[in-house]
Amino acid sequence: MPGTDGEWASDADLLRRHVAGDSDAFGELFRRHRDRLWAVALRTVCDPEEAADALQDAMISAFRRAADFRGDSAVTTWLHRIVVNACLDRLRRRAVRPVTSAGDEQALEALAAHDPDPARAADTRLDIDAALRHLPPPQRAALVMVDMLGFSVDDAAAILDTSPGTIKSRCARGRARLLPYVAHLRGNRSATERVSPAQGSDP
Amino acid sequence: MTHPDSDVLAEFRAGLVTGRRRAAIASHLTACDRCAGLSDQLGELTALLAAGGPPAMPDDVARRLDLVLATEAANRNSSERPVEDSAAHRASDPGPRRSRNYRLITQRILLPAAAVIVLAAGGYGLSRVAGGSSPSRAASGTAAAPAVSAAASAFSAPSASAHGLAKPASGAGLRSVAGPAMEAPVTFQVVTSVTDYRRPTLAQQLEHELRSYPRAAERPQLLTSGPVKGCVLRVTAGTSPGTVVLVEKARFQGQPAIVIVAVSGHHDQAWVTASGCSASGDQVLATATLPGTSTP
Repeated sequence: MPGTDGEWASDADLLRRHVAGDSDAFGELFRRHRDRLWAVALRTVCDPEEAADALQDAMISAFRRAADFRGDSAVTTWLHRIVVNACLDRLRRRAVRPVTSAGDEQALEALAAHDPDPARAADTRLDIDAALRHLPPPQRAALVMVDMLGFSVDDAAAILDTSPGTIKSRCARGRARLLPYVAHLRGNRSATERVSPAQGSDP
Repeated sequence: MTHPDSDVLAEFRAGLVTGRRRAAIASHLTACDRCAGLSDQLGELTALLAAGGPPAMPDDVARRLDLVLATEAANRNSSERPVEDSAAHRASDPGPRRSRNYRLITQRILLPAAAVIVLAAGGYGLSRVAGGSSPSRAASGTAAAPAVSAAASAFSAPSASAHGLAKPASGAGLRSVAGPAMEAPVTFQVVTSVTDYRRPTLAQQLEHELRSYPRAAERPQLLTSGPVKGCVLRVTAGTSPGTVVLVEKARFQGQPAIVIVAVSGHHDQAWVTASGCSASGDQVLATATLPGTSTP
């Protein structure tokens, strides 16, 4: 979105303009990042409907609290943090209800419905999404941030409001816990994509 | 050393194991095919999770959120306008008052107290119940937020729209806490919408619905008799019929439902029931208390 001087507006510019009363700025900011925000919500709550509700809660909260943003992190970090918190809040409230089983095919199909991958990859994604449900929400959120969305450990720590060491630990435990559920997918990746132990540590 | 389990190997790969223990594990991996294979699987898992990239936001979700943000922007703009707290208004409503600005601000900040009652209903739609027969009700107008054209659909299912929302009948004040009860018979105005209320956001959706209805459709359905009217009177028993401000035939959790909102003290009380709701029986699905959204 061009700024008032015709230059491309940064995220921080858009947020400032929103706080100043620009009625279009926040919508533009949201549209700029919505796919990643959606991915975070969807993978964290593992339910499309809950994800949409959580994202709605988060965006309303961000819209209203924009003036509180102090600029000590990137705007995207701030937005992701609000989304993750909204998701974790929903998961905590949902904790009193039975967790949807991994066999909930309808929900899983919805999760994969927008995956651009071909059929096999979509099946793989379904299995991964099902496996993710077995993780405690904090581990899942860390794994989604780092492994699935490619955030650095430091950025994930900022988003999840914890230390980098905790993020590494949650990711490690999450991977170990996830392993039995995705063992059958090993053949879905080509040998050239495999990571050998000689390549060293994970990020 | 003994074979490290997957937790230890995962921590090793994440760099969380240091010193002599790390060296021991590294040495073990060079000699143990089984553990090396397990470590290999952990590496594959990381790559597997990264494959595919983030899913694109579905169009219906994108539209819904665009509407939500547009509504927020409209609400913000409307709340920034100066408020005319006329003497006529004060005279027509002897109860305690808050300024419209204050009210809108608090609506955005405070979570609505939950006390709506959801009645599962037959068809669906939004009915604005205006006690048209009550001459005592003050024509005090409705809540602010005139620019919330998208509000009704903003919190509903993606395809939902706000069409069918009824305007209150002329002279139908929305809050007459201190006024006399409406005389029977009561005439309800009913409007149809396709809003799909969700339990977690019920109060929030209703707040927006109530704020949006001054701009709503002009085709109220008058119910002078019938099961919906009976349902309303049954559900709101104990509340002055003249304080009923909304009867909505809509959906709740995807099922046909009727939503009824009435003034109760300084709050709005809401009910939702199923299609079978009538004067002889109701099935309350949910309840919520709103922070007096309809207060002018």
